Amino acid sequence: MSAWRQAGLNYINYSSIAARLLRQALKADLRTEAAKRNDSHIRITKWEAGKPIKSSEF
Amino acid sequence: MLGRFGPVVTFVAHNGPIQQHQRGMATLKSISIRLKSVKNIQKITQSMKMVSAAKYARAERDLKQVKPIGNGAKQFYEKAEIDAPTDVPQKLVIAITSDRGLCGAVHTSVVRHIRTELGKDDVNVKVVCVGDKSRAILSRTFGKNIILACNEVGRLPPTFTDASKLADAVLKSEYKFGAGEIVYNKFKSVVSYQTSTLPVYSLQSVAAAPKLSIYDSLDDEVIQSYLEFSLASLLFYSLKEGACSEQSSRMTAMDNASKNATEMIDKLTLAFNRTRQAVITRELIEIISGASAL
Repeated sequence: MSAWRQAGLNYINYSSIAARLLRQALKADLRTEAAKRNDSHIRITKWEAGKPIKSSEF
Repeated sequence: MLGRFGPVVTFVAHNGPIQQHQRGMATLKSISIRLKSVKNIQKITQSMKMVSAAKYARAERDLKQVKPIGNGAKQFYEKAEIDAPTDVPQKLVIAITSDRGLCGAVHTSVVRHIRTELGKDDVNVKVVCVGDKSRAILSRTFGKNIILACNEVGRLPPTFTDASKLADAVLKSEYKFGAGEIVYNKFKSVVSYQTSTLPVYSLQSVAAAPKLSIYDSLDDEVIQSYLEFSLASLLFYSLKEGACSEQSSRMTAMDNASKNATEMIDKLTLAFNRTRQAVITRELIEIISGASAL
């Protein structure tokens, strides 16, 4: 078992952290363009029995 | 911002028969007010068309780049010939829509597909609603089937970070499903899209697939990691397809709205001129008959 999975991450978390670090390591002229791909606006809410649950851990 | 014009447009669309005014109390003033408002709406729909045309051009360019990602992920399921497990009846349906309306039937056709699915079996099927539109429609009749709802989709082009957040949420939702599907609008051309599905399977059903051996050096760890990644890729691909269909459909919808407004403006102008002529004639009659009575 790999170290990141033992730490409670799944492959999605692992790869997104890796991607973020790679984007930060780019040269300045490429970094601004790549940084846009790092953004995320989506908001996720859990639902139960037809009602949204306030607390959101995502 | 754009959604705010929704009720205005429908209001005008329902007031089609202008003849109603002609036989009633159509004063010059009321006609000119209506004429002005229709002209304003036409301006709005025209500018919305321009905006979505620009957004569509970008979405299509993005989609071209994303297609290989989606196809690659899809191929794995096809080549390994994975079937839904018969012993786990739980299913997951992910509806890919957006927050924005005024784009024809893109959202309704996704929801209709899911509704037929839920109509067959509404106990073992759970829904993840991406975008406010699908949530708004489904929450009324199938509210208890929704396990996750996402908003802030569709304002900006979707990114892979969005897709991975969503995939992460689905995996962490503690809902154990045997198989699932992503329902989205597949972009075909500027004027057409097709509501399609992409399959999603759980780790157990993939591990039990008969033709998995065509892939070399797989262990559970690799399969699990790949499945997690492929869920994110499939979601990313379907989000892009959905965004592209939505923009193209909005373009057509707004084009039609502008055309209808032009038609209405022509009719109203005609009614306006006729009424004006009638007023002049009446005044002349009054003057002449007044003069002859002297």
